[in-house]
Amino acid sequence: MKFVFVFLIGILFLGTQAEAQKVYGTRNGKITFASPTDEDVKSTNNEVASRIADNGQITFSALIKGFKFKYAEMQEHFNDQYLESNKFPRADFKGTIVNLKEVNFGKDGSYKVSVKGDLTMHGVTRNITAAGTIEIKGGKPLANCKFVIRMKDFNVDASSVTETVNVDVSCQYQ
Amino acid sequence: MQKWKKTILIIGGIGLLAALAVVLYVFLKPHRDVSKEKGVQLTAQALFDAFKTNEAEANTRYLDKAIELNGEVADVNTNQDGHIVVNVKTNDPLFMINCTFKTNPGTLQPGQTITFKGICTGYIPDMNVVINEGVLVK
Repeated sequence: MKFVFVFLIGILFLGTQAEAQKVYGTRNGKITFASPTDEDVKSTNNEVASRIADNGQITFSALIKGFKFKYAEMQEHFNDQYLESNKFPRADFKGTIVNLKEVNFGKDGSYKVSVKGDLTMHGVTRNITAAGTIEIKGGKPLANCKFVIRMKDFNVDASSVTETVNVDVSCQYQ
Repeated sequence: MQKWKKTILIIGGIGLLAALAVVLYVFLKPHRDVSKEKGVQLTAQALFDAFKTNEAEANTRYLDKAIELNGEVADVNTNQDGHIVVNVKTNDPLFMINCTFKTNPGTLQPGQTITFKGICTGYIPDMNVVINEGVLVK
């Protein structure tokens, strides 16, 4: 009898745990990056897969071949010479919201966040921290975040084009 | 005009033309037009299976290739820049073939079977296989 009781309590506990966590996702988030020195070097990916959970976990995945440039020739160089997208087809970020306590997923509003995690790209993993906002509207989050990537941190030798790129992430979750 | 001046002018002229050609090549080279390419034909399910079984091998077979897929529409959305996105079903309810269309495919209903062509940009585990530059075949 005691065992059954503990078992039931256990189930109840697990149940509330599962319910406490809510996950939002998108298959078509957006990442744009641009060179601060050359305005032609600008690219957008509209097929960013991302999940954000109200326990603070956040992931982004972007396929390198999904980055589109205005000029086809640049797109080719970006894929073949710089990011080597046949060898490293995807960039992944896995991290957490550092100041989760300040975000209320259940209440509409705009919340400033700091996100910290590992970005893997071109076969290199680096820990990065970025500032952004999470806007809850009608119960659905919109995440915006800007940060800078130094190409050589990821073993990308693009110094003839640009040393850094400004990255802009925008994901509307369902 | 002296002969050497003429030579310099001619060489300079050729140099300028060559520089112009390089600039034109970089800036005017057209993007791929998948509607003019013959796509590798397969079902949405077969493409999903290939990536799920062996991502590396599927990448060598399908990455950056024009492919023509047949499958059932799960849902139709617009992305954050206003382009039409069609998710096509696989046997895994959480996994889709995610196709962003280049040209408007017209009104599509969930449950409808379609054939479309596009460029495969790769695989995102637990989420989808991504196709972009999509055009509706039928």
